[in-house]
Amino acid sequence: MKTIKVGLGTCGVSAGAQKTYEAIKNEIELQNIQAVLKETGCNGMCYREPLVEVIDEQKNSFVYGEVTPEKAKTIMNSHVLADEPVAEWLVQSTRPSEDDTFFKKQNRIVLRNCGIIDPSSITEYVATGGYEAIQRVLKEYTPERVIDVITRSGLRGRGGGGFLSGVKWKFCRDAAGDKKYIICNADEGDPGAFMDRSTLESDPHSVLEGMMICAYAIGAEEGYIYARAEYPKAVARLKHSIREALAKGFLGKNIFGSPVNFSVKIKEGAGAFVCGEETALIASIEGKRGMPRFRPPFPANKGLWGKPTNINNVETYANVPWIIMNGPEAFAAFGTDNSKGTKVFALAGKIQRGGLAEVPMGITINEIVFDIGGGIKEGKKFKAVQMGGPSGGCIPASMGDLQIDYQQINRTGAIMGSGGLVVMDESTCMVDMAKFFLRFTQDESCGKCTFCRIGTKRMLEVLERITDGNGKEGDIELLRHLAYEIRNNTICGLGQTAPNPVLTTLKYFPEEYEAHIREKRCPAHSCSALLTYSIKADACKGCMACAKACPAEAITGEKKKAHEINTAVCIKCGKCLETCKFNAVIKN
Amino acid sequence: MTREKKLKVTIDSRELEVRPNTTILQAARESDVYIPSLCTLEHLPSYGACRLCIVEVDGLRGYPTSCTTPIEEGMVIRTDTTELRSLRQEILKLLLSEHPASCLFCEEHDECKEFQGTIRKVGVTTGCRYCPNDARCELQEITEKVGLTETSYPVYYRGFSVEKYDPFYDRDYNLCILCGRCVRVCNSVRLNGTLSFKQRGKLTTIGPAFDRTHLEAGCEFCGACVSVCPTGALSAKVSKWYGKPDTQVTTTCVYCPVGCRLELQVKNNEVIDVLPNYDSPIDRGLICVKGRFAIPEYVLSPERLGTPSRLTPVGYEVISWDQAIDEAAKRLRGTKPEDKLVMVSPQLSNEDLFVAQQFTREVLGSDAVISSMMIDLGDDLVPFLELVTSSSTFDTIEDARGVLAVGFDSTYGYSPVGIRIKKAGREGALLVTLGACDSNLDMLSETAFQMEPPQWAEFLGSLVDYLARGGKGKVKIRKEWTSDIERISRIFSDSSTNILVIGQEAIFSSGRREIFEKARTLRDKLGWKIIVAHPYTNLLGMLAMGAFPGAKPGEFLKNGDAVTVDLPVIDLAKRKKVVYLIGEGRFDTIPDCDYLIYQNGLPPVASRQPDLILPASLFTESSGTTTNGEGRVLKIEKATEPFMDAKPDWWIFNRIAEKLNKGKLKYKDVAAVQAAIKKQVKGFYGGRKPVEFARINAERATKWLRGAPKQEGQSSGAGNNPSYRGIPLARVVAGMKAIDEWVNTSLLSDKEAQ
Repeated sequence: MKTIKVGLGTCGVSAGAQKTYEAIKNEIELQNIQAVLKETGCNGMCYREPLVEVIDEQKNSFVYGEVTPEKAKTIMNSHVLADEPVAEWLVQSTRPSEDDTFFKKQNRIVLRNCGIIDPSSITEYVATGGYEAIQRVLKEYTPERVIDVITRSGLRGRGGGGFLSGVKWKFCRDAAGDKKYIICNADEGDPGAFMDRSTLESDPHSVLEGMMICAYAIGAEEGYIYARAEYPKAVARLKHSIREALAKGFLGKNIFGSPVNFSVKIKEGAGAFVCGEETALIASIEGKRGMPRFRPPFPANKGLWGKPTNINNVETYANVPWIIMNGPEAFAAFGTDNSKGTKVFALAGKIQRGGLAEVPMGITINEIVFDIGGGIKEGKKFKAVQMGGPSGGCIPASMGDLQIDYQQINRTGAIMGSGGLVVMDESTCMVDMAKFFLRFTQDESCGKCTFCRIGTKRMLEVLERITDGNGKEGDIELLRHLAYEIRNNTICGLGQTAPNPVLTTLKYFPEEYEAHIREKRCPAHSCSALLTYSIKADACKGCMACAKACPAEAITGEKKKAHEINTAVCIKCGKCLETCKFNAVIKN
Repeated sequence: MTREKKLKVTIDSRELEVRPNTTILQAARESDVYIPSLCTLEHLPSYGACRLCIVEVDGLRGYPTSCTTPIEEGMVIRTDTTELRSLRQEILKLLLSEHPASCLFCEEHDECKEFQGTIRKVGVTTGCRYCPNDARCELQEITEKVGLTETSYPVYYRGFSVEKYDPFYDRDYNLCILCGRCVRVCNSVRLNGTLSFKQRGKLTTIGPAFDRTHLEAGCEFCGACVSVCPTGALSAKVSKWYGKPDTQVTTTCVYCPVGCRLELQVKNNEVIDVLPNYDSPIDRGLICVKGRFAIPEYVLSPERLGTPSRLTPVGYEVISWDQAIDEAAKRLRGTKPEDKLVMVSPQLSNEDLFVAQQFTREVLGSDAVISSMMIDLGDDLVPFLELVTSSSTFDTIEDARGVLAVGFDSTYGYSPVGIRIKKAGREGALLVTLGACDSNLDMLSETAFQMEPPQWAEFLGSLVDYLARGGKGKVKIRKEWTSDIERISRIFSDSSTNILVIGQEAIFSSGRREIFEKARTLRDKLGWKIIVAHPYTNLLGMLAMGAFPGAKPGEFLKNGDAVTVDLPVIDLAKRKKVVYLIGEGRFDTIPDCDYLIYQNGLPPVASRQPDLILPASLFTESSGTTTNGEGRVLKIEKATEPFMDAKPDWWIFNRIAEKLNKGKLKYKDVAAVQAAIKKQVKGFYGGRKPVEFARINAERATKWLRGAPKQEGQSSGAGNNPSYRGIPLARVVAGMKAIDEWVNTSLLSDKEAQ
């Protein structure tokens, strides 16, 4: 009997996977097909969603991409019933396909079960070796040994800070306190990042197991998962998984029959970016306004409800069971000297294959962008990547051979961050990009520190006037000056890193700023205030298509004669450029 | 006690020894090193938002804020480098880019400062008064100290509308710099939580959540936020335009028996504002709305009585003090003692009360010096006094592991007690409230029982019986209460210290006699502490001074034996020849009379017109002492000259006594009165320790009051209507009236909802 799996992560559902699922279900019922239909999470190929996997009786896997309900019917009839795979829609199977390169350079630790198991079934997780690590730890390991293993693995916090997890755990274990807490930070707020969402949706138990191991290591009996309320699916999956684990005795009193107790609560955040900062996150769980406080005391000494608390993010915890099962050496075998293991990146932006990729540390940017990501969309030129979301910075294409590890990335002025990787092509204006991220942090500032609240606003005003064509001499210096002060004089990571997008674009693309300010020109032809459209007289055939399309009636001209654009009336919508079949319309 | 070992640090190349367990900022300030800061304030938790207090520390990265960095042995700190100065200037530039700054950077600035602000429309440079905080502004002060003389950013006006709809203070958040002091004082000092930050990013402002008004949000109008605001964003309606006060006078509030220390702000012989004193051991600066906001409007009321006057058939005639004294003496001379009645307010000073009783006894030859407090309590007076005189100190609440509050609410009064209870609750003490509607303690209570006041006595009775039997034997308890009483009893019996707080609602409830008795059982049998939160300011002073029928000065004080109060029977139905009211403004409690002498600061509430009006000075205008609910004798300081021709009460008694030729009262000043008190009441001014009272024999309570007027609805007695010298504060203080109306309408809507 064949098994059919439909990827029902948020990425799949938004591409229409739910309908595909229903169609397959219908087909099975109508034709009384002998097949098992399952749902699964996301395997990382978000660009091919909806994904349907057919596993035949010989356990051969056939993954179909972009499966509409109609295609699903065909697949059911031809493959499931008639054993004839529909070759043209296959993206991954026993036969080679162009998508194979997506997986070639990946090493999957965190995503080991994603898109493979049914996340709503604890038995499937257990069948893949799940919950063995915690049982081994409970039976054979002292808490100190767990910490030692994690320390030796070289695992660093995957949320952005990059602090050595084993050391962090040790601080918390050594902190004096009758009660301790652990928190899983699932408040993934960077625009363009979706690693944690996908992990929680596709393999929630691996995170729970990681939390259990951590709780045992530091001596905590209660854990919190602080998840975004904007991740309804992830929250629902987590709730379901916690119930399953409770029913099995994996959570609660005396887990796995040991004397250890551990329970997990979910706290939904209300969508404040700053609540990803650990002290603000703690305040939010306590029911207070999510505002960072100064450290020390660090959460390891005084965290939730004033008790020693360990905070790691989803990806960090998901690594833990694997490290226990495979040993720290196996983990440390991946990566570079200072950065061990793998890292999940969310590929977004102008890249061919947007999705999730887990790669060993030390891989180059070019490998990710071109080998895994398949290069830039529409054959345009690769310009830069933005790493680390609004807290990170851009790395230009010229540095594409840079090996990705914490040290190398920090040297560029960007940060590793939580794994958001937004790819930009030649049509992206870097000033505009910096403005976008700064507007984001400025909106999301909690309003506490003067520099973060008002300084970012002043910076944003400068960027706005530059992109509006009103930039003046001295603006670049003012941006640098404010950026320096904001960076050095704010309490939390949000403020300290807020100027990074501006600083890195200033560092790598100063000529773009200068062109905006001095020549009132946007080299990427993106800032609408600086654009002018005109018609090349010799190329214009006088077909009048552009004049008809123009919503502002800015184009004049007679039939079969060259047309003209009245720039005073033009609203720079670009409609004429799209309409012209003779490439006569040009953008300056 | 081990002495803290001092730490050796270097601040700006000076080697200093500083206290451990402080921040760099504290250590610097204690060593007279100036570091600017806008968000830090003593008594408030560190916040680290304004960033002005940044310093350089060897070995620490960047520029740590000194208000949040703990000081450590051997630290080398620099507080004033070129780099720091430029960063601080930048911070101020940014702050001032969103804060109207014409007071600092106006072209006429230097000339302007030379002239006194005025509202006259004359052709002179007047100096603008565009901000209520001008010349008192910390932002101005720091800008000058940091040496910022111009700003490079255009000023961005945030355009918030000024909020003026709540009583007592206005809010202009365009001036707010988001230092968060108000939020912190509201939450961590007042434990109230009305204020919080709203929104985020550039939209961040301050106020109650969900855009409620301050009244709706449970604001106590304690004004703590206004006092800590470094700018003009928060300003008191009454005093905002007065500018800087000339002097400050420390005194004691006489609006209730807590005895809060107040800092009266005086300008041009007027009390313009009142600030709390955070160093006061009794109230710790936690004063309530009455002390904070209800004094200037009362003492400066346009209704103040300023000249003696006499009722004639065509209205009042202004007369001189000599004529007034003659008139009073004429009426008092010759009448039989039983035809005269003297009523004094328990809100007078100890000294005035002492002279009042001496005047009544020695000059008038009568023992009938009573007060409307006695009539409020009626035949329950003696059990009430028995509890009041054995009331515990407020500090005992802090050690309590269990607190039961009956009919007590500290929203608009008794806040030093209420906040101590909240603090105990927050720190893990069992807090149980018993009331008719929501109280401000409910949020922190383990259980808040709501029931009609007549049931309180029964509930308390069941609880006391249950506790007294230690859970053994059968106690009759209503079914619906059984599990609750069992549960809280268990916690109360495990706790080492329990406190019962009897609030004003309970004192004026119909079951008060039983409540008082149960309180006695708790105290005597189970070792509970009792605090009676009554409204009669100087009640203990009244007893100590003997301004009480049948008890001479000092007789109530502890000297061995228990005291039995033998009250003479007083019949209010019997018409008197002369009634002499001192600081009593309610006429519903006085008997009919031929002639009424009214000595007070404001006209009475009632329709009966006094025959003779003697204008008395108020507590801001004369010196003396008052005794608080714990028995502490506290100083009242004269802050201004009396209003017009008003005189202190003791002075008026003195003059009338002189006229009556008795030669008994010859006090030159308050000090002379105090000397006489010292002689008669041994150890009264003994120092910081509370005056101890003798145990009162509560079993021998007699029926002493006859012909008392029927008080409508016992539960809404005088106590719920805060007043000073018989005049409800709501009558003369606009904000108190607004609060009063709001409380009444919300009570009404609560009832309708039920």
